[in-house]
Amino acid sequence: MHVFRDIDKQNSWLSAMDARVKLVFALAVLCMVISYKGFAFPLMVLACCLGGCLMIRVPLRKFLLRFSEPMLIASVVIILKFFFSGQEALFSARFAGITITGYTDGLREGLAIACRIMGAVSVMALLGFTTSFTDLMSALSWLRVPKGFVEILMFAYRYIFVIFEDAQVIYTAQKNRLGYAGVRRGLVSFGTLAGSLVLKAFERSHAITVSMIQRGYDGNIPMLQHRPFRPLEVFVSILTVCVVGVAWKIL
Amino acid sequence: MRNRLAVSLFTFHFLPCVVPSAYAMHISEGILPFNWAALWFAVAAPFVAWGLLRFNKISSVDLSFKPLVGLLAAVVFIISCMPVPVPTAGTCSHPCGTGISAVLLGPALSILIASAALLIQALFLAHGGLSTWGADILSMGVVGSITGFLVFKFLRVIKMNISISAFMAGLMADWATYLTTSAVLALGIRGDAPFLPLFWKISAAFIPAQLPLGILEGAMTAGMVVLLYKKRPDLLVKMRVLKPEEVTP
Repeated sequence: MHVFRDIDKQNSWLSAMDARVKLVFALAVLCMVISYKGFAFPLMVLACCLGGCLMIRVPLRKFLLRFSEPMLIASVVIILKFFFSGQEALFSARFAGITITGYTDGLREGLAIACRIMGAVSVMALLGFTTSFTDLMSALSWLRVPKGFVEILMFAYRYIFVIFEDAQVIYTAQKNRLGYAGVRRGLVSFGTLAGSLVLKAFERSHAITVSMIQRGYDGNIPMLQHRPFRPLEVFVSILTVCVVGVAWKIL
Repeated sequence: MRNRLAVSLFTFHFLPCVVPSAYAMHISEGILPFNWAALWFAVAAPFVAWGLLRFNKISSVDLSFKPLVGLLAAVVFIISCMPVPVPTAGTCSHPCGTGISAVLLGPALSILIASAALLIQALFLAHGGLSTWGADILSMGVVGSITGFLVFKFLRVIKMNISISAFMAGLMADWATYLTTSAVLALGIRGDAPFLPLFWKISAAFIPAQLPLGILEGAMTAGMVVLLYKKRPDLLVKMRVLKPEEVTP
């Protein structure tokens, strides 16, 4: 949760850029990465985004947390493709009476998928590290994402921390009363924890509605106002997308 | 063939220790090629639209509905981020939480809630992804919610106890989600290889984590429904989980 909270504390020119420009740019690059068949382009994107992360001085712990899961998934995909998919055998070895075969084409495909994963994750990581939640929501609403959906996202984001703290308090109380000693007891405690969170959500939603109505809520939540596009920012972004597009085509 | 089977068994004893099962339900960013990612977006979109229509309809007459759905999305987000130790896999995994929302609010709104939770996780936690958002909505939101809801309703129709119905709803929602995730993954990464063998291998890799986790999800859903039944049965009636006559005064 701390990783989540520190996101909008970054201070750099990338963070200051218009969220709409960053979002459209990221989506364009993401489409190019996932439609590319090979290693070169995703690796180039990965290198650029890592450079961006270094430039804005993303703390190492936060960076590793963000990339650890995709890296593990990429490794598993390589293993799956190397041993279970392919025709050209690279090696064959007997181990404890079992013949293990690795396939060259399987390895190639696995590496391509792994590069795609890392390239795509790096794009989203850079976007996440440099854009605050409210800016991103405002950009989504500019992109004509239905207002109702954006409102759900904003409510959810606002109360994630509150409910998370409730969950921590209940969990600690249960643990101190040996609520997780034994499988059966643990299952019951976990169920009670989930139930308590839902109950709290119901009660809080009622309290929030009352307080919002008292402050003039009529069912509409105003979104963050956009400042006008800065021509230089837009021009540089379009130029960069074009350069990346050419690289995507020729690599 | 026999050798391949033996290698599979060996690897899938090893793989679950390596697979980051804490995020097993979510398909990672970039893993699906463009055509598959686009297809799953197209498949998931009508379901999300269905959820939005229902959300707009109810929230236009009930002002407290928007905060409620937002708060339940936060609950689903937190539940699906909770690491749960899975001793058989020697690692951690997480429940989906869609069984709970499907039982309480019905499949349409549960899909919407899952979509919101998945988007926040994809944007800020690299848990799932934006390019795989459609596929994740399909597996966790659509299949998980609809399965959980139908199982709960069916068991209630045949007069099954409410806690058993909720348990089965959570269990089946979790397992249906994991099977769909395996199918989507197998289709996305198979290349020229046949689909079924890879699907079984991926499913087998997740079994040590997902079998006990389904039970946990079932227990969690049952615990939630039982707690609400004991403390706030009026809410279950309001949400149409129970009929008024089923609540003893």
